Amino acid sequence: MQRKTHKKSSAGSSRLYTWLPVSFLIGSFLLMLLPLEGFVSSVKVVLAYIFIPQVRASHETVKYMENVHQTVQELLKTHRENRELKQQIEMANLLNTQARQIMLENERLNTLLGMTAQKRWNGVWTHVAYREPTQWNVVIVDKGSLDGIRPRSAVLSLEQDQVGLVGIVLETTEKTSKVLLLRDKDFAAAVQVGHTQETGLLQGNGSAALQIKYLSLQADVHEGDEVYTASSSSIFPAGIRVGKVSNVRQGKGFQTALTVEVDPWIRPAAVKELFVITNGGEK
Amino acid sequence: MFRSFYKLVLLFILGTVCHWGCATLFSYIGLSVNMMLVFALALCSVLRPEWGYPFVFLCGLFLDFFGIKLFGNNAFSFTVAACIMYALRERFDFDSIFPQMMVVFCITCLVGMINSILLLWFTNTAFWPGAWSLLGGAFFGGLLSPVVFWGVRRWWLGNATKRN
Repeated sequence: MQRKTHKKSSAGSSRLYTWLPVSFLIGSFLLMLLPLEGFVSSVKVVLAYIFIPQVRASHETVKYMENVHQTVQELLKTHRENRELKQQIEMANLLNTQARQIMLENERLNTLLGMTAQKRWNGVWTHVAYREPTQWNVVIVDKGSLDGIRPRSAVLSLEQDQVGLVGIVLETTEKTSKVLLLRDKDFAAAVQVGHTQETGLLQGNGSAALQIKYLSLQADVHEGDEVYTASSSSIFPAGIRVGKVSNVRQGKGFQTALTVEVDPWIRPAAVKELFVITNGGEK
Repeated sequence: MFRSFYKLVLLFILGTVCHWGCATLFSYIGLSVNMMLVFALALCSVLRPEWGYPFVFLCGLFLDFFGIKLFGNNAFSFTVAACIMYALRERFDFDSIFPQMMVVFCITCLVGMINSILLLWFTNTAFWPGAWSLLGGAFFGGLLSPVVFWGVRRWWLGNATKRN
């Protein structure tokens, strides 16, 4: 009896296994016979509901997988940069500690000698928020009087890890400040040329090189000499790098002073982050 | 029963993702690797026919969905491939890699040829993907098949549903 039942069920399943593929083959054959419009397009519309989300998911997955390689590379690069930056921070901390000790020592010695010590620079870092397209010599930064910035504050920046003069604050609002860059013709600062200690007046000259005026004809100035802000300046702290002498024009005939051209250390067109000194005159 | 159905749905989704990925990657070297067929064959090696044939038919319909000239040719050729696979299942041991690779290579070539013939017959347009595309696609399909077979068998036979 049991054997009979088993035989029956196995015959049934073998019949099913024969008819199942045959029915699918006939079904697909009929689908091929039908015109693409009408029924087939309706079937496609129904299938679209099932397949389209899947196709989209597959496409997104493949796109994501394609980006994995790039993302991993960027992550590795960032990790390497992070390690290097951590080392640099450690070095900077070390230098900072040494600098603090030297400053304390300097203050002590100044007191002993009865000299007036230079004040430390206090200020805020700002970002250039806007450049006036019609006035290339003015930039607007994203900090203002609420951050302690006052008109006539000195503005510095970094180039190759060295501080350089950028300009002066003209106007402030609560949250923004307008900075006049040193290449503007209205800009002026007392400067001294490196080894000579000769003092002159630096002036902007538009797109041309900066000029130092009122240097004595006897001054020993050469191309390549460094130019720094002078201690006689009432606005800028002494010793800030301004640029390098690019040309020296000897006086002719009735001229009583040298005219020296200077290439600025900080390229005004490239400035992005600026340091504004907020503790007034540094003297 | 329901668990098996969900597993099948998940495998189908995984198959479409693999197919899409391989189609995109291998298209850069002018090959069309039919991963959907590899998935279908791998499932035929573990599924009972009453589950296997509908699944394979659906896989074929999925590929037909993207066709513009003929609808149903992939469903047809996939069903033929499933018939062959079920016939071979009793003769070969699909636990070892070599039969998997050989069967996938041969059936992929056959499916390509069936599709070309069907297109020629029903639409009067000759469709020959080229020997490099057909044989290269079948070769890479065969090369990838052990991974797919391993994954599918591990996924499916881990379940209580065993191959009959």
